[in-house]
Amino acid sequence: MSQEEISLSPSHHRFQKRGFSCEKAIKYFFASNAGLTIVILVLITIFLLKEGLGFFPGYQRELEVYRIAGLEFVDISRKNLTAQEQLTSVLNRAYYAEINGQAAREMKRSKEASALFNAYSEQTGPTRDLVVNNSQAASDPKSEMLAILKTNFEKQKVKALASLPATPHLEKNERADLIESIRTRAVDSTEDPPLVAALAAELAAAQEKYAVPLQGMRATIDSFSSAGSELSSLVSEMTESVTATKEKIQGADILEKDRKTLLAAAASAKDLAEREKLTSEATASLAEKPDVEGPIQRLMERRADCVKAHQALQKTTGGILAQLPENLRQPDARRLLKVARATWPLFIADLEKTPAAIHAWKYDAPVPLTAAISSFLTGKDWVTGGEWQDFYGILPLAAGSLMIALVALIIAIPSGIGAAVYVNQFASPREQGIIKPVIEFIQAIPSVVLGFIGILVFGTLLRDISTWDSLQWIPGFPIEERLNIFTAGCLLALMSIPTIFSLSEDAINNVPSAYAEASEALGASRFQTTFRVVVPAAFSGVLAAVLLGLGRVIGETMVVLLVAGNRIKIPDFSSGLSTFFQPCHTLTGIIAQELGEVPLGSVHYRALFVVGILLFAIVLAINATAHHFVNKMKH
Amino acid sequence: MTSAIQIQNVSFAYNTKQVLHDVSMDIPAHQITAFIGPSGCGKSTLLRCFNRINDRIPGARITAGSIKVHDIDINRSDIDLQELRRQIGMVFQKYNPFAKSIYENVAFSLRVAGQNKRATLDEIVENALKSAALWDEVKDRLHASAFGLSGGQQQRLCIARAIANQPEILLMDEPCAALDPLATLKIEELLMELKKKYTIVIVTHNMAQATRCSDKTAFMYLGKLIEFGPTMQLFENPKDPQTEAYVTGTFG
Repeated sequence: MSQEEISLSPSHHRFQKRGFSCEKAIKYFFASNAGLTIVILVLITIFLLKEGLGFFPGYQRELEVYRIAGLEFVDISRKNLTAQEQLTSVLNRAYYAEINGQAAREMKRSKEASALFNAYSEQTGPTRDLVVNNSQAASDPKSEMLAILKTNFEKQKVKALASLPATPHLEKNERADLIESIRTRAVDSTEDPPLVAALAAELAAAQEKYAVPLQGMRATIDSFSSAGSELSSLVSEMTESVTATKEKIQGADILEKDRKTLLAAAASAKDLAEREKLTSEATASLAEKPDVEGPIQRLMERRADCVKAHQALQKTTGGILAQLPENLRQPDARRLLKVARATWPLFIADLEKTPAAIHAWKYDAPVPLTAAISSFLTGKDWVTGGEWQDFYGILPLAAGSLMIALVALIIAIPSGIGAAVYVNQFASPREQGIIKPVIEFIQAIPSVVLGFIGILVFGTLLRDISTWDSLQWIPGFPIEERLNIFTAGCLLALMSIPTIFSLSEDAINNVPSAYAEASEALGASRFQTTFRVVVPAAFSGVLAAVLLGLGRVIGETMVVLLVAGNRIKIPDFSSGLSTFFQPCHTLTGIIAQELGEVPLGSVHYRALFVVGILLFAIVLAINATAHHFVNKMKH
Repeated sequence: MTSAIQIQNVSFAYNTKQVLHDVSMDIPAHQITAFIGPSGCGKSTLLRCFNRINDRIPGARITAGSIKVHDIDINRSDIDLQELRRQIGMVFQKYNPFAKSIYENVAFSLRVAGQNKRATLDEIVENALKSAALWDEVKDRLHASAFGLSGGQQQRLCIARAIANQPEILLMDEPCAALDPLATLKIEELLMELKKKYTIVIVTHNMAQATRCSDKTAFMYLGKLIEFGPTMQLFENPKDPQTEAYVTGTFG
């Protein structure tokens, strides 16, 4: 029988399927569910791209205005001024580090004494205020109340005195005297206890004493600090005029946009009268072209002044370095001075280049789209909502995310993989039954709860520990900020350990037992078998586990938002390992923090979308790489 | 004829499941001894007792009797297992080279024993690969992955790996089960060479293989040793009716 005959045969042959079966319906139901997820993913991607890609032209226009209005010109000078201020601050910090380092003993004693007194005052403050405020009244019912208040205060006092902070640097009798003086002190006294005052005076005297040999340094710093005053006043003067120009241009931009909307509405309006009305409205709102030429020309006339101010600054600055003391005693001060010396040549070089840059600057040079893109990808500033100029540079955010991920992985990789190896290779079934669920349970902790614990418990604990004398050799201790890269990294490590642990354990478990058997049959010990045969064979699976852990760390938002400290600044890498104790902001955190507050459709709003796209791409790439390794493991 | 392994009244159990019942025999040195019998008769379990690789399985234990190598009961608790396994090598049913280079696979047993001298390793690896008749095929790619070899080559690599630290006894658990006839032939030729230096115990399902290679054959059934004797005698003139039934193909 030929093909054609089959298809033409009567439809009642018993081999032939008929109707729409239930199985088919179920199949289509499942297929539509699968299809729906794909459609949603595509829609999300399209939405992200649509909202995000508009960012670059918008940012390009902002940068164009930044140039035309002359803000860019002012920033040439301002940059040097900022650098000078920062250098001054570094020198000042070195100066105070030197003095306070030598007066460390006095400082600790004074701090401890006042901390003790403050702890007492905080606890007894409210009841004490009540006593003092009511003691004026003399009438009977009042005096009865006063008596009650007084007993209350005395009770509080006893309680407070029982729980005072430790004072390791005060002599025993000094502490006893201090407590005694607090106990016997008049209710309404506003003076500090004698020991607190004495120690404060002692500290001041010590600081004064140690400042004497540093008088030269003080004078040098002061002269350096005042060298920028001419430039500073010039900059603030120019700032006013360029800001005004910028506002004018932006106003005109908005009017122009409105006009275009009206015209578009007119073009699509149906009846003639409506169209005429809209068109005339559009014509009426036609903005006057703002006068850009006038202000910018006046600005260009200041070029000579700018150059002069720079030369004055340069002249003073040139000699400063030689006048700074060669050797300071305190390591902190020495380090800061070294930082200043290292950045000095850069600062001088910038100053030297500036006059040429001032003359070469052109207000009408075009801003290409690539400038907007590169300014986004390599910009060192993320400044939004400022009065001066918004910049959307992701480097500080990317640096923050990377630093946190680095800390998290440094902690999570050894512990996650280590736990996996132990559980799979060495643990007894009983231990396995305890360890596995417990580690996997960590995953069940909501990240906001973890962040909460991070702020209140872990951050505080870490800061307190960092003040221990025995730990001062650790760089960055005592830590200045309770919320920093390290705290966030630790918590993210905790979050990624279950991922790394479970997947590594799977990978190790998937290594054929024939390998381990062969290895033991060749005379290898359990330990050698584990580390020379089993773990290497699981390598790609373990690598995939680490990558998926990394994906989780990069994408995590809540914890970093709560715990990372949210300072938008590239961490100061010159401070070595203590960089890890600086606060930072992240790619994920910035979206969560700012998206709720930005005007819909603004450049800032779109910038956040581009950050989102970037994150999406990074995590996608990480996961794709991880899957590549998983497949490799399966051969 | 000296015996390499003396098995005396051995019984063996996985948890409560008894798999070997009162097995006794002497495995002769420098000969090939084959264990035959239907699946689940306990021949692999017995073989795996010789290097105590069964210790890896929780609940597996010898319930009675003793296995002696050099007149020492290897089931004593003070036996150095690593040293024992260096003396008694093993080749498994499914070839299982490590995910390492050919060279490192052969050098593995020496490295875990603490030998790291390059010159010594080079020499031993070369000798082992030559003994396993693999040297000519791999000498130009010693540092390539072992997974690039064919199945038969991989199994010969496993043999080279097992003889690298010069064991006295070589245990082979159905070494040709996963190989095609040509590769099987090569391994059998190799066995003839190896028996000059090593005592070989081989478990096989292939009775033709047992007749071709072995000097003595043991027939096991339901965890018991039914008959043990010179191969020719066992196949041509079996004493036990069960053996006869099995070798003539009436059952099994």
